[in-house]
Amino acid sequence: MEGHQRNLYLYERFNARVLGVSRDDVITLKYFANSLDLTFPLLSNVTSFLGVSVDAQLDGRPIFSRRTVIIDKAGIIRYVRNGSPDFKDILLFLKKLNQKGRLDPTTGGKP
Amino acid sequence: MKRISLLFLCLFLMMAWLSGCATFETEKKAVPYRLTAQGTVIWEDEFEFLPPPPDWKLLRVEGEGGDIDFGFTRSDPGTFPSMTTFAYDEEPFGCSTKFEDREREFFKRFLFNAILQFRVLEKKKAQVLGGEGLEVVVEGKDPVKKEKVRAKVVFGKRGERIVGFYITQWRHLDGTYDLSAFEVFDKFVKSFKLLKKSFYETL
Repeated sequence: MEGHQRNLYLYERFNARVLGVSRDDVITLKYFANSLDLTFPLLSNVTSFLGVSVDAQLDGRPIFSRRTVIIDKAGIIRYVRNGSPDFKDILLFLKKLNQKGRLDPTTGGKP
Repeated sequence: MKRISLLFLCLFLMMAWLSGCATFETEKKAVPYRLTAQGTVIWEDEFEFLPPPPDWKLLRVEGEGGDIDFGFTRSDPGTFPSMTTFAYDEEPFGCSTKFEDREREFFKRFLFNAILQFRVLEKKKAQVLGGEGLEVVVEGKDPVKKEKVRAKVVFGKRGERIVGFYITQWRHLDGTYDLSAFEVFDKFVKSFKLLKKSFYETL
């Protein structure tokens, strides 16, 4: 999460926004965000519905485990990686997507 | 006949020993640094710095996201935990790009596992990596474990991001610090040059 916070200015440059999703409750997330000085939203996803709703739930697993998902303006999942985020890979991917226009809000997600 | 056999055996063993030496030579792994004629080290064609004296051992840690963290460590005379370590850190704790904010964020987590209360001994602006920077000297004590640490943290800028250098010197609560190690660290920081743009600057 700290890595995402460091990269916020770059995400903004690539017209991307970051959301953290956790199964922890709201009070725990507030404490966590405060301890790391995070300024981007953290969503409390205690029932794991978010993973299901964006179709990013791992098959056969009842929980939304650590994954990085990039969704474009049209709601299409463009990138899914399991495990700890590879920040350089994420940034390169966002840069590429932005250059193609898929994350440009003025084009409605169309290239 | 027996003497000739023994001679052949000795020759064979010597050949085997020598061929073993040759094998070791070819199996040497490439190191990420090279020495210059001026006595500096060039690390992965990205950084150049003055290395510490030979009694310091190289320390390398893979940072999150493949960022480069490396440093040097030395065992000091005296009772446990007499040790000094210094390092370059591409992504020091915290997120802010302002030095004062980053310092606050950094010390929330620096040596977190040791559960120390830090006392700031000195804080001043400094020239780091050819630009503005911040130096902070602190001391932390643990009366339960009877340990103490003196640390110096130097923040500088690499592009838009803050990078850091730090040295920690651990001692028994009754021990005395060896400030000459801090002079070695200062020379390392002062000599440190960025030879190319960081990944983040190229985006």
